[in-house]
Formats: sequence, C-alpha cells, structure tokens
Amino acid sequence: MKLTTLALNNIKRNFKRYVMYFFSLSFSVFTAYSFFALMQNEYVLMAFTYDDRYKSLLINFGIIIMVFVMFFLLSSNNSFIKARKKEISTYSLFGMTNGKIGKLLFLETMIVGITSLIIGIGVGIFFSKLMAMILLDISLASFTGNIEFTISMRAAYITAIIFLTIFCLMGLSGLRVINKFELIDLFKAHRVSEGRSKGSKIVLILSILLIGIGYYLATNSNSMIVTMSAIPILLMVISGTYLFFWGGLPKILNIIKSNKRNYYKGVTLISTSAFSHRMKSIGTVMATIAVLSAVATTAIATGYTLYSNIEKNTYDVVGYDMYFFGGHEEVLSDIRTTFKAYGSEIVNELTIQSYMSSPRVNMTIDENSIFNLGKEVYFRVYSQSMYNKLASICKCNYRPAGYIKLGEAMYIHGYRFHEIDDKVKGQQLSFTDKTLTITSVSRFKAISFGVKHTIIINDDDFDSLIDRGDIRDANEKGDTYDKVTLFNYKNSLTSRKLNKELTQILSENTKGFRTAYTNYDESLQSFGLICFIGFFMSAVFIMMTASLLYFKQVMAAEDERHQYKILRKIGMDEQVEKRVIRKRLIPVFLIPLLVGIVHSMFAMKAADTLVFSNIIPVDNSYFRVLLCSAVMYLTYAIVYSVFYFVTKDQYSRIVK
Amino acid sequence: MEILKVQNVSKVYGSKKSTKLYMALRSISFEVNEGEFIGVMGASGSGKTTLLNILGSIDKPTTGRFFMNDRDITTFSKKQLARHRMDNIGFIFQDYNLLETMTLKENIILPLALVGHKANIIEEKLRKIVNDLGITEVLEKYPYEVSGGEQQRAAACRALIANPKIILADEPTGNLDSKSGKDLLELLTYINRDYRATILMVTHDVFAASYCQKIMFIRDGEIYNELYAGENKREFFDSIIDVMSVLKGERK
Ligand SMILES: Nc1ncnc2c1ncn2[C@@H]1O[C@H](COP(=O)(O)OP(=O)(O)O)[C@@H](O)[C@H]1O
Ligand SMILES: [Mg+2]
Repeated sequence: MKLTTLALNNIKRNFKRYVMYFFSLSFSVFTAYSFFALMQNEYVLMAFTYDDRYKSLLINFGIIIMVFVMFFLLSSNNSFIKARKKEISTYSLFGMTNGKIGKLLFLETMIVGITSLIIGIGVGIFFSKLMAMILLDISLASFTGNIEFTISMRAAYITAIIFLTIFCLMGLSGLRVINKFELIDLFKAHRVSEGRSKGSKIVLILSILLIGIGYYLATNSNSMIVTMSAIPILLMVISGTYLFFWGGLPKILNIIKSNKRNYYKGVTLISTSAFSHRMKSIGTVMATIAVLSAVATTAIATGYTLYSNIEKNTYDVVGYDMYFFGGHEEVLSDIRTTFKAYGSEIVNELTIQSYMSSPRVNMTIDENSIFNLGKEVYFRVYSQSMYNKLASICKCNYRPAGYIKLGEAMYIHGYRFHEIDDKVKGQQLSFTDKTLTITSVSRFKAISFGVKHTIIINDDDFDSLIDRGDIRDANEKGDTYDKVTLFNYKNSLTSRKLNKELTQILSENTKGFRTAYTNYDESLQSFGLICFIGFFMSAVFIMMTASLLYFKQVMAAEDERHQYKILRKIGMDEQVEKRVIRKRLIPVFLIPLLVGIVHSMFAMKAADTLVFSNIIPVDNSYFRVLLCSAVMYLTYAIVYSVFYFVTKDQYSRIVK
Repeated sequence: MEILKVQNVSKVYGSKKSTKLYMALRSISFEVNEGEFIGVMGASGSGKTTLLNILGSIDKPTTGRFFMNDRDITTFSKKQLARHRMDNIGFIFQDYNLLETMTLKENIILPLALVGHKANIIEEKLRKIVNDLGITEVLEKYPYEVSGGEQQRAAACRALIANPKIILADEPTGNLDSKSGKDLLELLTYINRDYRATILMVTHDVFAASYCQKIMFIRDGEIYNELYAGENKREFFDSIIDVMSVLKGERK
C-alpha cells in the first residue's frame, strides 16, 4: 500500500479524533491570518500612522501569540501521537522502520495541516473586513468609514510559511516521540502507571506560602511597593502555581483519600483514583493553563475595565461636555448656531465668575512629602450656592455633597493620595479678620478648571470676605479673572464634525477650552487598541487552553476505556457512570480556571493600585474593577463550560 | 436448592442486516444448585465465555430465559441488571481485570463502595476476606506492583466481598503459573466450602477442572456431556481427559 493511501485511510479512520484537532488548527491559522491582515490593512495603518507605539505593540503581541500557538500545536500533536501508541507499535511490530512511521505521521500532519491552512485562511479572508471594522470601531470614537473588502496576499503568504514551518517541527518532534516508544510497551500498555504522584506536604505548604506572599504583596496599597515587587510577585505566584500542581494537588488528593468516610463512596473512589493516577502527566498542563488563563483574564479584564471606563473617566477629568474661559458674547452665538447646524441641543449652560483668594496657611512643610500647601497659595473660591450649581450639572460620577457651616471650608483637590485628607483637615485659613477651618476634604478634579487648590465656603462668609476684599475677582493689576462657561449638549461624544467646528471657534476666540469629545477620542485610541489586543489574546488563549484540555482528556479516554468496561461488569449502572465521568472531568477544567481567575483577581488589585485608582475616581475603585472583570471571568467560564460539555460528550462516547 | 435455571438460551452474533450470522449458543438448558462448584469445558470458540457473560448479565441472550432464585433475569431493565450484577454476581476473569488506577485494597472494596456501604463496615469485611485469602501485606500496592497470583487473589476478594450468590470465573488460572494456579483452585474450593458460594468456572485445563464437583462440556454451542466427580479423584481426572480427547478428535 502506498504511504499516502495509508495516511488518508488513517485520517478517515481517526476522523472523530481529527475533527477537534482540525478545528483548533484552523482556528490558529485563522487567528494568524487575521492578525497579519490587520497589520497590512491600509486603513488600520492609516488610523495609527501618527503613533509608532501601536505598531510595536501589535508586533510584540503577534510574537507572543505565535509562540503560544506553536507550543500548543506541538504539545497537542505529541499527545495525539501518544494516544495512537498502540497503532504505531503495531506498525513497528510488522517491521515498519521508525523513519517510515515518522514519514507516515508527517504525511498525515501535512494533509490535515494544509487542509486547515486553506480553510483557516479562507475563513480569515471572509472575516478580515469584520476584524478591521471591530478594531477601528472600538479604537476610534466616531469611526464611520467603510472598509473595502481586501484579500491580503502577503498575510496569506506569511501565514502559510509560518505554519508550514510549524508543521515540519511537528513532524520532527513526532519522530522523537516515536523513537522513544519501546516495542515492549505495546504488550504492557496498561500495566504501567502513567505517573502517580503521592505529593508532598512540604511542597503543598511551600506552594501555598509562595502564592500567599505574592498575593499579600500584590494587595499592598502603596503603589511604590507594588511596582518594585512586581517581578518577585510574578515569580512567586508562577512557581507557586507549578509547585501546587506538581506536589500540592496530589497531596490534597491523598488527604481526600485518607478521609475514608467520603472516599469510600463509589463515585468518589473511582473518579479520585483515576484523576490522581493522571496527575503527573496532566499537572504541568494544568499549571500552564492556570498561568495562561491568569494572564489572559487579566489582559482581557484590564482592557475591558479601561475601555468601559473611558467615558466615565472622560467626565471625571473634564466634567462637562465643553467649557471655556472668557465668556465672549460673540462666541456664544457662534456656538449656538453650530449646535443648531449639527442638530445638537444644549442640555445645560452656565457661566460663572472666577474668584481667587490667598489666605495665610500655617502648614508645617514636610520636604519629603509630595503634597504641601505653601505660604503663597492661591485658592479658587466657590460659595456654597455656586458650588451646588456647578456640581448639579457636572457629568462626573462622584460629586461630593457639601453643606458648609459658617467658619468652615471644604477643600477640593485633584490628587489621588489619601494622605492629603489628614494633612489638610483642620488647617486654618487666615483672612484679614476671619479664620476658616477646613473641615472636609474631597477629590473633585472636574470643578477646579486647572487650578490646584479649591475651597468652598458658606455663602455668608463668601459675601463678607468679598466685602473685605479677601476674595477678589481680579488680580493685583486690576484685570478681571476670566469667566468660565460650561455646556452640556446632546451627541457630545458621537459627532466628530461638531467637535471639530467647536474646537475651531473656541481656539480662535477664547483663552482656553476643553471638550469631552477630544479627551474621549484620545483615550479611545490608546485604550481601544489595548482592549482589542486583550480581547484577541484572550480569545486565542481561551480557545487554545480549552482545546488542549479537551485533547488531553479525549486521549485519556482511550486509555481509560477498558476500566469502564470492568466497572460495568462489576455492576456500575449508567447513572453512576455519568457521575463518575462528571467527577473525573470537572476538576480538570475547573481547577485551572479557578486558580487562573483568583490569580487574576489579585493581579487586578495590583493593577488597581497602579492604574485604575487614578482613572476611576470612586472611593473603592477595586470594587468597580472587579465588577468589570467579572464580566470577562464569566465569559471565560462560559467558554470553558462549553468545552467541558463537548469533552464530556466525547469522553462518554469513547468509553462506552 | 436450585439457584440458577437456564431455559433454551441461544445466542446469535451478527446484526440482523448482516448476512453472516453466527450461532454461539444453541438452545442451552441446565440447572445449578446452591453450593455447587461447576466446571464448564470445551474447545476454544465453543461458546463458554458467551455463556458465562450471559449468566453474568453482561450480555443478553438472543432467545430463551434464565432465572436466578426464580426471578426472570431476562426481563430486567438496564438499571435492575446493574443492581443485580452488583448484588448477586462476582466475576473473576482470566486477565484479572483490576483497575490499575487503584490499589488492591481500593479495587477490592469497589463493589461495596458502589452500593454505598459505610466505611467501617467496608473495612471490617475487607479485613476478614483479605486475611482469608492471604494478601494483607500487599493491600496498599498497585496491581502492576504485585505478582499475577496476588492480582488474581485480589480479584477473587473483589468477587467475594459483596457476598454474591454466584461466582463466575472465566479461565481464572489461564494466566498463572502452575503453583499460583493450584493456590487459586484451592482458594476457590475453600470459598465454595466455607463461604458456601456457588461457583461456575470456565476452563480448558483438565487439572483445574478436576477440582470441580460437576463438569459440563460444551461443543458448538450445545451441551455435549456432563460428568460428576466421584469418590476417586484420579478416576474423575481420567474421564475428563477421555471426554476432552473425544471432543478434540471430533473437531479434526
Ligand atoms: N462479539 C462477538 N461477535 C461475533 N462473534 C462472536 C463474538 N463473541 C464471540 N463470538 C464468536 O462466538 C463463538 C464463541 O465465542 P466464545 O464464547 O468466546 O468462545 P470460548 O468458548 O472460546 O470462550 C466464537 O466462534 C466467537 O468467534
Ligand atoms: Mg473464552
């Protein structure tokens, strides 16, 4: 028989096993093609031209993905070959040389590989327009352009070369696996243990300790410490995870086994012993998957959290859809005409006079501190009623309410250190014949309009200080401080043209301005890309890790098949069998997923300390971060459950 | 007292669609009394394993019925059958059929664990039986760590631990050396006597068969002859050889 015919027959015979293999191969190819096509897409290139960062970010990301895909393909190919050990040893028994068997397997890989290469690229081409649209849509605020349907020959070419190289590597590593087979194994196939591991108490404790210390460091609220210990944290948690799966989990299984009252229940007995029997061979895979899912969930949760907070964050910084200094009447009328022309409506409009004051502050200066109130400090001053008006139309999330009594003041700042509260609270502000005490401190960046220090005082105090000249609406030279005019209007974040027109008018006629749109657009571009990469990477990681688990289990099913036969002879009925299979498979998916998610939750805590707490100006920003992340954790869990059910189905069918 | 009654059981292999039908059992009928130690002999391919599998309700007869304690097993549902296997039947196989993922101890207690007995009851039953069968020392070992004889004894423990009404053994000595084989046969005799277990043992080893009280010879799916052990073991042995040589001669 010709080798090609034999190869084709083998594929036909093993078709069920090949389906999943084929699917994940095609998915890898699809991912690679889409990625390269994106890199080639002129619209994407154009959209990102003005920033080199994006390109290098994308390239680095691409390398990571390809390395992972290679790891995944090699590993699943090897376990695929191992599952066919019996068949391969039989060839060898009938005198086929290892070289020839290698050639046969190589042919099979190539046939399946090239078919999935064609399909993957085909699907990639089909979806390439969609991918580009998604990327541009989430990273440009008002992307409405139409992307043409393009076939990127170069992307197809690169993809094909990379994958053909990987297939060759697979062939080589397959040959290595075959060479390790001993013919004698064929006859004692089921007799040897695949690596039962007793585990060790010390390793268990050590792994928990390592992970625990890592977690502890990650939850530190001091961002300096977190930054400095980032690498030790990573090393500790990763090594702890591997140790846990190598020595800790087997120990836990042993502990479960020693609890006879529970262990001696039929289902537990069968599934636990079968699982611990495989522990060694699957431990590394589970640990790798736990680490990868931690990376992927963190990436996706970070991306999603950043992305879903862009709008909120915009208003926390800018506060209003638009504001400008200097309320010139002609600008106002121009602005109104512009709104009308673009079909937008004004929702709120407010013009206020700025007041400044420089009371004496007797704060002890601490040279080492980032924050000090010096002697000659200017405060922006709002009366209680002015403040209420400003706050009521502010679009930010957190608007501290304040009722300020006579003789008291509320201090408003834009920093993110909690130490400020203690430092400033109780400070005395001495005016000519009056002293106010700061009784409350809040962070409220949006209403400071570019000034560092702001105080809010009681209306009566305000009036009397104005009369005394302690609060002034003009500087020493007699120039009046600029009025601030605020607008909220409809379609503020969706119309690029309206924003362009407004920016034009304001930059010509005012002393300074900001629009929410401009801020939003900038954030979207940088966060949108990060977010897209996060999604993309996670999608690949989820699919690959889940199908790796699928493979491992389906391969194991072949081995475990005869055990179910024995059990049925002893009198295990179908219901018990179902429960055994469930209990046997659930931990394989659930444990890495849980470990990954818990790791990620602590990673998000560190990310919160470093990044989010500055972006999300609520008191407990970690809670918000967790809520956003939970969406992604859930998605991850759902994909894993789908894979679990597919695996269970296939596993049950094999052992039947 | 009769424990098993087989009435006109036939087994046809091959689906209805396929033209190649093979009749492995042809309308077999016989009875087994409680406490008997019966041997089933016959050439390879004569249908011995098929018969045993049907009696153990691992397989279903194509036609015919059989009763255990006057209950018609052929009418049982799948779930009832599983329960029936668990409660009434103990299997001992040629290749032991121990689960290699479990220690001998775990293998032995498996039937009880499946029924859901309490841990202390399980331990108690286990202690008694492994003591009797002499494998206490190797209990914590895995099947591939112990000898074939020990594996087979563990399999016998597993078959016995739930106090089955009948023990079905398919060439239990087939894979053992003569010493271990003899040990196992003595063990079965002991089980038969002291546990009052009914045993049905398939074998084509004349020496093994000479331990039985009665032997059924099967040829081409039919019962060809029956032999009862008399006072003289030597005589029994010789007459088994006679029947076997006739059977073999006919095949040629
Ligand atoms: N699952 C099966 N399908 C078809 N034929 C079978 C099957 N199992 C056994 N046979 C056939 O039935 C006959 C009896 O088999 P078996 O009971 O195993 O014989 P033995 O007496 O050697 O144990 C043999 O000819 C065998 O080929
Ligand atoms: Mg047989």
